[in-house]
Amino acid sequence: MSLFEIKNVSKSFGTLKVLNDISVSVEEGEVVAIIGPSGSGKSTLLRCATMLETMDSGELSYLGEVAARNDAEGRTVYASPSELRKIKSYFGLVFQQFNLFPHYTVLKNLCDAPIHVQKRNAAEVKKEAKELLVKMGLEGKEKYYPQQLSGGQQQRVAIARALCMNPDILFFDEPTSALDPELTGEILKVIRQLAQEHMTMVIVTHEMAFARDVADRVIFMDGGYIVEEGKPEDVISNPKEERTKRFLARFSENG
Amino acid sequence: MGLLTVIKQIASGFGATLIIFFFTLLFSMPLGILVALGRMSKFKPLSILIQGIISVLRGTPLMLQLIVVFYGPYYLFGLKLSTSWRLYATLIGFSINYAAYFAEIFRAGIQSIPVGQTEAATVLGYTKAQTFLKIIFPQMIKRTIPPVTNEVITLVKDTSLAFVLAYQEMFTYAKQVSASMSSLMPLFVAGVFYYLFNLVVTLFMNYIEKRLSYYN
Amino acid sequence: MMKKFAAMLLTGVMAISLAACGGSTGASSDSAPAAEEPAAEAPAADAAAEAPAAEGTEDTEFIVGFDAEYPPYGYLDEATGDYTGFDLQLAEELCKRRGWTLVKQPINWDNKDAELDSGTIDCIWNGMTYSTPERINAYTWSKPYVNNSIVIAVLADSDIQTPADLAGKVVIAQSNSSAEDALKSDELKELAGSFKELQRNPSYDTCFMDLKTGAVEAVAVDIGVARYQMRNNPDTFRILEEPISTEQYAIAFKLGNEALRDQVQETYDEMLADGTVMKIAQNYADDNLPDMLITE
Repeated sequence: MSLFEIKNVSKSFGTLKVLNDISVSVEEGEVVAIIGPSGSGKSTLLRCATMLETMDSGELSYLGEVAARNDAEGRTVYASPSELRKIKSYFGLVFQQFNLFPHYTVLKNLCDAPIHVQKRNAAEVKKEAKELLVKMGLEGKEKYYPQQLSGGQQQRVAIARALCMNPDILFFDEPTSALDPELTGEILKVIRQLAQEHMTMVIVTHEMAFARDVADRVIFMDGGYIVEEGKPEDVISNPKEERTKRFLARFSENG
Repeated sequence: MGLLTVIKQIASGFGATLIIFFFTLLFSMPLGILVALGRMSKFKPLSILIQGIISVLRGTPLMLQLIVVFYGPYYLFGLKLSTSWRLYATLIGFSINYAAYFAEIFRAGIQSIPVGQTEAATVLGYTKAQTFLKIIFPQMIKRTIPPVTNEVITLVKDTSLAFVLAYQEMFTYAKQVSASMSSLMPLFVAGVFYYLFNLVVTLFMNYIEKRLSYYN
Repeated sequence: MMKKFAAMLLTGVMAISLAACGGSTGASSDSAPAAEEPAAEAPAADAAAEAPAAEGTEDTEFIVGFDAEYPPYGYLDEATGDYTGFDLQLAEELCKRRGWTLVKQPINWDNKDAELDSGTIDCIWNGMTYSTPERINAYTWSKPYVNNSIVIAVLADSDIQTPADLAGKVVIAQSNSSAEDALKSDELKELAGSFKELQRNPSYDTCFMDLKTGAVEAVAVDIGVARYQMRNNPDTFRILEEPISTEQYAIAFKLGNEALRDQVQETYDEMLADGTVMKIAQNYADDNLPDMLITE
């Protein structure tokens, strides 16, 4: 049983088909990197997986629990709100733009959902949150508001916020794209550390070197299709498909 | 006829002005939020209906709306009006009119909040109500303080429109004192009252704004 | 938070609707022809109101509508903060004799018909002119009690001496007042047509303000009001000797409310017969009211 499985997803915005019959499954402890040019559908796939976007057709499940399945006509039908609420606690998402709550302190950003959504013990949650902040190198920032932190620090708070929910799988949507180049390192370091701890992760990224380094598997998407998929040393270092080669060539040109 | 007597008389009408002011805010702000949510509803008929109502409320004089609320029950439904209806009609008229303005301010405030806030809350498992009350609403309040202050200041002065229903608020009083004295002085005294009241309102709103600037 | 808002709103609405249903026990509701108005009052209030005013039940309210900017008939006494005036003093005495509770309800003169129709007032007792067929047919009237003339007030040093001098001048009258009605009547159409402009303002006080400041050149006004203004502004105004119209004041009730009218008339006649009305008029001797009173 895969920890996460999305099957035969199709999604259109108007007449534009952004996802064509895509299937991805992720095993426990696996780190999957999704790469591809902008407009390739990789972010939409992530949004479908985290249910920020509804699928036109396709199936979705976490830990074997079905979040969405196809009806007889092949159109997606979602599970009941109470089932979805439970399934939502299995995954976390880190956004490109962090999306921290500006009116909450760092600590409250981490603790509010575990306490009020998961109804966990407040004292325990706070203790765990503080440990996470230490781990993220944010010791002593509990009482800060997000705007008082640098972009890199904010993104680390966002990662801590997602982790504080104790998810089984963590999604990253271009986590370093909104950061100045000198700040991307600190985020990549955190993700690398999580990978060493065998956190299950799906990362949409433009950082090729990082993807090759940290991922167990790389998926190259283009035009709403999965073009190539495999071990990083195969897909990134020795691509078979022409489109993958062209995409990677542009990257090496740019340095 | 001393200035002091005039001030005393006008001050006695000030209470009625305060009643309109406070109850209008008390009812119109929550109502404005509900109307704003209805206006943004994905259920099209509701959204269109509310857009229509807002359009009428903002597009016709408040004075006319007060008259409609006051006499409507009699002329439309044949109900006999009671003496206390004068106050209630004034409050209802003011509240729905101001709710329309507040609704548009709140809608703009809500729509100005990045969609990422809602998405982050959704992924964290907040319900729609939790997302609105814990995440969107507090940010919306902070963003809308300046335009809301404008409306509140306008309301202080608009209370004088209650004269159309002969509700005995401060300006109606001032005009009556003015008539019985055959002098304009009471109107100026009333002006000073309005100004001082607004000064207090402005200081209070500035204080709120400051209190809410703990972030950004 | 949402729930609190909803609860607050609900409470507000409920309070309002309850009050709207339960409120007034105005005299008109008991004595008006019963079929005309659907009963909207709560039963308890009804019972109190049902006791006919004729039997002098103490909690019967008699709501007099008046323009509080219309001295000397109805105005705010700055010293006491109470509404008073010739008409209101008459109403006070009348209510005392009938055992009614007088409610002095200031109204916006422009809305007087709607106020009367909707039952927020029982009568208009406020120097209301009994003239022009439209007006006479629109209300149920008491017998006239004051002879009024509509005069032209001008500045003391104005060169206007007779109504004929008003040709080409700017004249003002209270909107929807008897003076305005008179100027629209057939008899005075020609005179009104000679003005440069006939302006209107809801408040007589503003009309005189305009005269004082030169914004208008003459005010068409009931003589009692004009005299009150002259008293308050010594040496400022002058009244043309020749009135433009003479007319009478009466109390106006909602059309068809003869029952209430008859009760009021009966007591008023008593007050007139025993000299009380004249005594009250003497309080307004400066405004010439004793001379204007209709004494039979």
